[in-house]
Amino acid sequence: MSITIALSREWASKGWKVKIRDRERLEPPHVTILRRTLAWRLDLRTWNLLDSDPDPNDLPRPIVEELRKSQDELCRAWNEMYPGNPVRSRKRSQ
Amino acid sequence: MNDPIFVVARGKAAYPFTRIQSVVLHDSNDIRRAYADHRRAMWVLPDVRLLVTVTKALRARDVWHRLLILQRASTARRETLAALFRVVIAPDDGVQLLPSEALIEALASPKAEDLIIGGIVDPDDNAVVLYRGNLERLVVPLDWFRAGGKASKLNLSAFKVTDFGQTVCFGDFEIATDAILYEFDAEARKRMRERELTQNSSFGAALHRLRLQKQVSREDFPRVSAKTIARIERGEVEHPHAETLKIVARKLGVRVEEIGTY
Repeated sequence: MSITIALSREWASKGWKVKIRDRERLEPPHVTILRRTLAWRLDLRTWNLLDSDPDPNDLPRPIVEELRKSQDELCRAWNEMYPGNPVRSRKRSQ
Repeated sequence: MNDPIFVVARGKAAYPFTRIQSVVLHDSNDIRRAYADHRRAMWVLPDVRLLVTVTKALRARDVWHRLLILQRASTARRETLAALFRVVIAPDDGVQLLPSEALIEALASPKAEDLIIGGIVDPDDNAVVLYRGNLERLVVPLDWFRAGGKASKLNLSAFKVTDFGQTVCFGDFEIATDAILYEFDAEARKRMRERELTQNSSFGAALHRLRLQKQVSREDFPRVSAKTIARIERGEVEHPHAETLKIVARKLGVRVEEIGTY
């Protein structure tokens, strides 16, 4: 089952959503931040945005900061959904 | 660049479309001119009562006009329209479309062709027909959604499209639209690859992405060792053997020359 990460009310009420769906483009592991017809893919290994379009500047930084606080949870969720392509453990990537 | 959007509507029916870049056609003269002046366009008809105006105004030409009707239309009407439009989409039995606000926004998006506005499940042929934001169709085998052992029981009756065309759902099972297009549309895949900020465009990296996308492990290739696959993916094999590439391509369900496009 796909996972929708709960954002704070401030962002959720403006239509922002974060998801890991049952089928995604798999490489690299990421969460997708959605708003209306736009989607930003956020790399769970580097915490960088993966695409130049939509404009990275249009994604409010507080949303990324909010997600970063749930980093372990998000990585665990990805790993459970896609065990064949796990996010490296934080230890290994450091 | 998107094809122009023509909306055939009068009065209040045209109102929601004034928010997007579209041309509202009010009468048969407008309709005739728009049809004649463009070879490719998207047409939207919110009110089926205006179909008669459309059919009276037009004579079939070899054009790439696509029509979206927002109300049900009889089979006879759809047959008539099929003579005038390359694609006709209407919310008939089994067809699921986005809610109207999301639908209009998806049609108007600069990325319309990379969004899904609706579709219909064809269980007899084990496929789903998806309608893209540019009103083109895309057929996806249902088995693709079941790959990787997930969703052994897709809830076909709960098919719908959400997130303004960015997610396709079968009940609780959700699929990213970009994952579908990445797999089934080489042009969309190219566009997505161009948008990536840090891309490794080597053959090995492409094979790695493709293999993961297909959820195939390195041990799954007959007569090719996992070690060989790993070396190719790391770029340690400059020219992989032709036979190896054939085996890899066959297992991944692509042509050899497609591997590098992933």
